[in-house]
Amino acid sequence: MPRIEFDRVTKRYTADTTAVDALSLTVEDGLFLCILGPSGCGKSSSLRMLAGLESITEGEIRVDGRRINELEAGTRDFAMVFENYALYPHLDVQGNLAMPLIARRMPRRRIAERVAEVARTLRITEHLRKRPRQLSGGQRQRVGLGRAIIRDTRTFLMDEPLGHLEAYLRVQLRSEIRRLHERLGATTVYITHDQEEAAAVSDRIAVMSDGRLQQLGTLLALIDNPVNRFVAEFIGDLPIVILPAALSSDGLTTVLAVGESRLPLTPEQAHRLNGATGDRRAVDLGIRPRDVALHAEPAPDRIAATVSVTEPQGDATVIIAESPIGRISARVPSHGAPKAGDAVHAAIEIERLHVFDGDGRNLLHREAG
Amino acid sequence: MSTTAATEPAGAAAGAAALPRLRSILILGTACLVTGISLIPLYIMITTALKSESDIFAWPPVWAFEPTFQSFYNAFFLFGGQNVLVFLFNSVLITGASTAFAVTLGAMAAYGLARFKFAANKHLAFFILSTRFAPPVAFIVPIYLMFNAVGLIDSQLALIIFYTSMNLSFVIWVLRSFFVEIPVELEEAALVDGYTRWQVFRRVALPLVKPGLAATAILSAVFSWNEFLLASILTQRDAATIPVYLSGFSASMGIAWGEYMAVGFFAVAPIMIFTLVLQRHLVRGLTFGAVR
Repeated sequence: MPRIEFDRVTKRYTADTTAVDALSLTVEDGLFLCILGPSGCGKSSSLRMLAGLESITEGEIRVDGRRINELEAGTRDFAMVFENYALYPHLDVQGNLAMPLIARRMPRRRIAERVAEVARTLRITEHLRKRPRQLSGGQRQRVGLGRAIIRDTRTFLMDEPLGHLEAYLRVQLRSEIRRLHERLGATTVYITHDQEEAAAVSDRIAVMSDGRLQQLGTLLALIDNPVNRFVAEFIGDLPIVILPAALSSDGLTTVLAVGESRLPLTPEQAHRLNGATGDRRAVDLGIRPRDVALHAEPAPDRIAATVSVTEPQGDATVIIAESPIGRISARVPSHGAPKAGDAVHAAIEIERLHVFDGDGRNLLHREAG
Repeated sequence: MSTTAATEPAGAAAGAAALPRLRSILILGTACLVTGISLIPLYIMITTALKSESDIFAWPPVWAFEPTFQSFYNAFFLFGGQNVLVFLFNSVLITGASTAFAVTLGAMAAYGLARFKFAANKHLAFFILSTRFAPPVAFIVPIYLMFNAVGLIDSQLALIIFYTSMNLSFVIWVLRSFFVEIPVELEEAALVDGYTRWQVFRRVALPLVKPGLAATAILSAVFSWNEFLLASILTQRDAATIPVYLSGFSASMGIAWGEYMAVGFFAVAPIMIFTLVLQRHLVRGLTFGAVR
């Protein structure tokens, strides 16, 4: 399967709108890579440059080491799935599926066989004679997928293929996409803004923002070890808690002062902080709600707060509490959870906290990830 | 109207049901009336062509008469020395060729204007439209001199060229808006599937603007078929079209109404048939369902 490399790829639409800024990214052969990011982050432009639908302003895209910048879209041998399906409305499902094969001048008999085969795989056989407008959204995107897999391409490009579908169909189709990938093993680049979807279908996730690649890793790595504040805030089902803090060191221990509370960092964390920055003072503390415990009793390393909102989610309850230095949220077991108005003391799991400097870099980021 | 009726309480249901019915009767009645009025000239033309000389001038008009093909016979085989079939052939040839050229070239130009970003795209589009700003009378003399210089006076080619150029700007503008409506993703999908730009145009874009092609073909053909002014100046004998022939009719012979109407029938019939055939392609909303 092909190996795709973006080498400092830049896309500028006008002199001062840069959609993609020196993107370097390697998709190993047979890997299912998701590019995840908010809208306007450059993920679609990156995919369209790869597909050949958009010119590359600077840099180089290579497939198996061969530069493809100048190749026409049709000769790159990629198959693409579009967010809005892009089915040919004047052709029935059969005709839509056959289009890529007709372009390759495959004999008529072979085409009919392949169409039947793919229709069976995607369970759309009974719709072969229908026009796209007679199909539901889910069926349409099945046809879209079928048109992509029909010609034994070894690379798939998917541009938010599930974006227009209802929630239950999204879940259903994404597992189908994953199954297809496991069966075909094709190198796949998949665009989405939905991290849950990204985690469900892909092997690796590349987080993009402002035209730049922020971090590449598994969802777990992105959650536990974000490279910067953007990734920390963008990833995770509950928003990360960010509190102003100050770092100080007395030579033996490094302490993070958060309001009145003092959190002693582990020696390993202290080591990494010194290695990265020397002695910085004002920083931001980041902690995931699942790593915050709420207690009734105060302690020097706990932050006092008052519960303002409780959001029961079944087994767990999300507690939002106001402290003098900012809003804290915690995910606690529903049984015995505090109520609005209760005074609580938030204990932070030291080993899981993140420290962001003024530029948003995570000073505790581990390179190997 | 009907939606408000549907939401009214049950007691008013009987009265509400009668309302849409009355409405559709009214609409149908009006449509029939308008159609009837429009068809009267056609009726008079056909019946006059089929009447005998005395029936034509009878007063009050005779409604029931013995149909005769004498006028058709006269028009086609006795009149004027020139065979009317030649003029019919000229009209068909000139209209067919100029329509085909205008729609083919126009579709390609419109696609280019709709799809490709290039310098002065908008200006070029406006320039194309501007060629229709002046009335054709305004440039009769230069047109005549130009065709005269290249020796094309009284040739079918002269009219084909002129009608193509007259229709082209209109075809381009109508089709451009049709092409713009096609979602770009459709064509991108075809490009990724391995089609060249020309194949995308032929296999994806053109089928989707079929209603536009039909509409522009009809209007171009109607224009070319009926155009008289330039035809009467650029052609005199050999390449004259039906409108030119018809105008000569009244001048030279007094008015032979029966023969006039018989030729008139053949002047109207081809373009009507052409329009009726293409009409079924004039359905909109073909792109619906392609993308959400």
